[in-house]
Amino acid sequence: MKSLPNYLQAQRKRLALSQEEVGFLLGLNGMNKGNKVCRDETFAREPSLLDALAYGVIYGRPVSELFAGLHHQAQQRVAERAKVLSFRKMRKTEPRRKQAIIQLAESASVNPNNP
Amino acid sequence: MTQNNTVRILAIAPTARGFGYVVMEGPRRLIAFSNKSILKNKNERTLVWVEKFIRRYEPTVMVLPAVNAADTRRAKRIKQLHQRLVSLATKHKLKVKLITATKVRERLLGQIKGNKQLQAEVLAGLFPIELAPRLPPKRKVWKSEDPRMDIFDAAGLAVAFWPK
Repeated sequence: MKSLPNYLQAQRKRLALSQEEVGFLLGLNGMNKGNKVCRDETFAREPSLLDALAYGVIYGRPVSELFAGLHHQAQQRVAERAKVLSFRKMRKTEPRRKQAIIQLAESASVNPNNP
Repeated sequence: MTQNNTVRILAIAPTARGFGYVVMEGPRRLIAFSNKSILKNKNERTLVWVEKFIRRYEPTVMVLPAVNAADTRRAKRIKQLHQRLVSLATKHKLKVKLITATKVRERLLGQIKGNKQLQAEVLAGLFPIELAPRLPPKRKVWKSEDPRMDIFDAAGLAVAFWPK
């Protein structure tokens, strides 16, 4: 099963907070603070790094868990690029570097579903 | 149908005033739940909402009440809506699972007899953080059913989907 881009709504309902309240905690300005939170929850908008970290603080969960789908997507993309990098001819064969690239390339195949 | 924990389901409970919906990932994880009240063009607007939920949550299975079962009497409109929901699920390549009211009662109460309030209380106990705050008070005989009960109808279907 593919993870959803984020699980913000489930976490907000767990804490019985309103979208307006979460918007206030995120430090959003304006009358409709809840609108941005709503758009984040319905995957219409990807929050900024600062907002994502703030969500992690508000809900007490790691960002990779809150944004499981996006995390998985990023993991896969990095793994694909790492594979390309591992095929490139290396000028200096540094063992630590080689190990890191191999680990990154294998990371997507180790855990193909949830991070 | 394999009912393992790696399936995301969308349970829809059509009612007289709209519908209730629940999205679950595995038997213990509620992702989203609510009720929608629709006043005009109920079937068309319900279908628009359900299609939106299918696109948003990308479920594998749609769980619906078995409206044509022997233990159920539903309005003609609900039966028509049910047919259209099944067509919508097929269009989006979702599996459809029909659950009878008796199966929901058996799963939640452990017996065939029981009322919706008891079922809702059991569900509130199963999901104390998510559903307990939405539990409506017991209905007085002179009052209409609380719209929040639609959530529990859908939650009952969703819970009954998973094996015990």
